[in-house]
Amino acid sequence: MATVSVPRAHWSGRRSTLASIRLAVLTFLADPQWLIPSMIAPIVFGFVSFELFLGTPDLVVYVILGAGMMSMWGQTLYGSGWATGQDRNIGTLEPTLSAPTPYVFVVLGRILWNVVSGLIGIVLVFVVVVVATGTVPSIDNPVAFVVLFVFTMLTLAAVGTVFAAAYVYTRYAGFVQNVGEFAFYIGTGCMFPIVILPFWTNPIALLFPPSWALDALRYASIPGYVGFSWGLGWDIVGGVATTAIYLLIAGIVFKRVERHVLEVGNLQEY
Amino acid sequence: MSSVPAIEARGITRVFQSRKGFFYQDVTRTEALRGVDLTIETGEIFGLLGPNGAGKTTLTKILTTLLLPTSGTARVLGLDVTKDTERLRARIGLVLGGERGLYNRISARENLRYFADLYGVPLAEREKRVNEVLEWVGLTWAADRRTEEYSRGMKQKLHIARGILHRPEVLFLDEPTIGLDPKSARETRKLIRSLLGEGVTIFLTTHYMFEAEELCHRIGVLSRGRLAAVDTVAGLRDLVGGDRTIEAEDYGFEDSELAAVRHLPGVSKVVSEEYGPVTRLTIRVRTGDLTIDTVRQNLIGHGGLQVRERRTSLEDVYLDLVEEEAR
Ligand SMILES: Nc1ncnc2c1ncn2[C@@H]1O[C@H](COP(=O)(O)OP(=O)(O)OP(=O)(O)O)[C@@H](O)[C@H]1O
Ligand SMILES: [Mg+2]
Repeated sequence: MATVSVPRAHWSGRRSTLASIRLAVLTFLADPQWLIPSMIAPIVFGFVSFELFLGTPDLVVYVILGAGMMSMWGQTLYGSGWATGQDRNIGTLEPTLSAPTPYVFVVLGRILWNVVSGLIGIVLVFVVVVVATGTVPSIDNPVAFVVLFVFTMLTLAAVGTVFAAAYVYTRYAGFVQNVGEFAFYIGTGCMFPIVILPFWTNPIALLFPPSWALDALRYASIPGYVGFSWGLGWDIVGGVATTAIYLLIAGIVFKRVERHVLEVGNLQEY
Repeated sequence: MSSVPAIEARGITRVFQSRKGFFYQDVTRTEALRGVDLTIETGEIFGLLGPNGAGKTTLTKILTTLLLPTSGTARVLGLDVTKDTERLRARIGLVLGGERGLYNRISARENLRYFADLYGVPLAEREKRVNEVLEWVGLTWAADRRTEEYSRGMKQKLHIARGILHRPEVLFLDEPTIGLDPKSARETRKLIRSLLGEGVTIFLTTHYMFEAEELCHRIGVLSRGRLAAVDTVAGLRDLVGGDRTIEAEDYGFEDSELAAVRHLPGVSKVVSEEYGPVTRLTIRVRTGDLTIDTVRQNLIGHGGLQVRERRTSLEDVYLDLVEEEAR
């Protein structure tokens, strides 16, 4: 009996994720000016909220969160899914999927890069607002703020992964996402606390990991903030739990989606 | 040495459903493949010919794990294309070619590095391998240019470089020379042939008969989702009635004359076609006994008669096979 020795594919998820980050950075560096258009809306929003909340303890949170989340939406959520749509458009989805590495690692790399570039955007908005108004807003508890901010971004990244799966699944994901964008801004509370929205929207918002994280962030940075009645601790628990669920869903969905696209045969678009 | 064929397909079918209309209510079913059986041995160059829409790309994608068959099974290197996808992908290469499929804002070198990472080319070997394949396709001089500055031919070479980066045992190429000028096409063919020396099994699709004839050990003719024939060029010539073809031209022939030619010993097939006022008889000849003169003697009284002999071309074979399948 001739036995065929089959060497295992020696791809690694970590290496592929790093490769994906590298590709994203190189693509960004090739045309860094593309960051500017995606920064205009957040900067405008930054100014408006600065005027609105001047002199209130909420100032920093609203300037940074509002503007920041806008840039995060653009970078993390939109960017991650969009890159997959782009892969389909320029015909790189097929060569990428014909490699042994699961596509989810490529997406993960892009999301991580997008989180970083979203941060660059937030810093940019902050600097522009500070320079233009000559006021340096003070942060109540800087350490907690930074930690929870990073946490908020990771919850966003988890949502981004699920979105990216939708982009692999269908060519029409962009349509759904554009419609969902506004609902997302308001529903998750990056513009203002969701507790002031009609009560029925709250349970829906709580399905989104960032809603929990944002509430926690407000608790930590606004003195006397009244958000969800369960308070900071449970906000964090809820954020971690929903994020974990999203990542789990993303993992399962990606496996399914990769199979589904091979069934339908919609990897290319001309 | 293993006796496992490089490619083995049994009863492959593929149906596409595409939807149109506001509510996607109009469903169109396309049977792209209607039962394909195919075995390709290790070390072979196999060429797949077929008209537009015959299913060549569909078959290529199924064999490279990018599309699931609707029914049937296929194994490449002994691995099931629908189940062992991960292990199989590491061992085969795919060149889809064309203007698309590259990251245009970054350099060729960075494109190759990226795919070397996804394919798990050992990191210690990565730079060496990237340089090697760039050198091999003759793109070293342009390695650090953005690929958006590349010409069609350069892109094609880069696609091939990417396809062999991870030293695949089987390489699939879908229309590797389409849109290339004659010189680039010849260089590309040379590259493909040189892979054979390294023991790579090659599966390619093409619309160019001479390309298939020049490169391939065996040729398959796909027509409307079915393999009309699979054989060597010589075998295919035999299949359509011999490797000699005699052509006779004049302003019209009588039916009786046609019948007479058809019944000459050694003639396997006669096709009559009109080219404006001129009628051309294409006579496929199986044996060596029948000569141009015999044909001439049977068409006496044609002042402007022109008779010539040529070798049955692969194109003749192809057109015969595709025609038969379509009937
Ligand atoms: N993703 C798809 N969705 C719907 N129909 C498809 C899809 N891909 C291919 N088809 C159909 O399947 C049939 C075979 O297409 P395929 O691309 O395999 O042909 P081909 O032999 O490669 O043709 P060409 O020589 O033009 O490249 C065609 O009728 C085509 O329209
Ligand atoms: Mg094709």
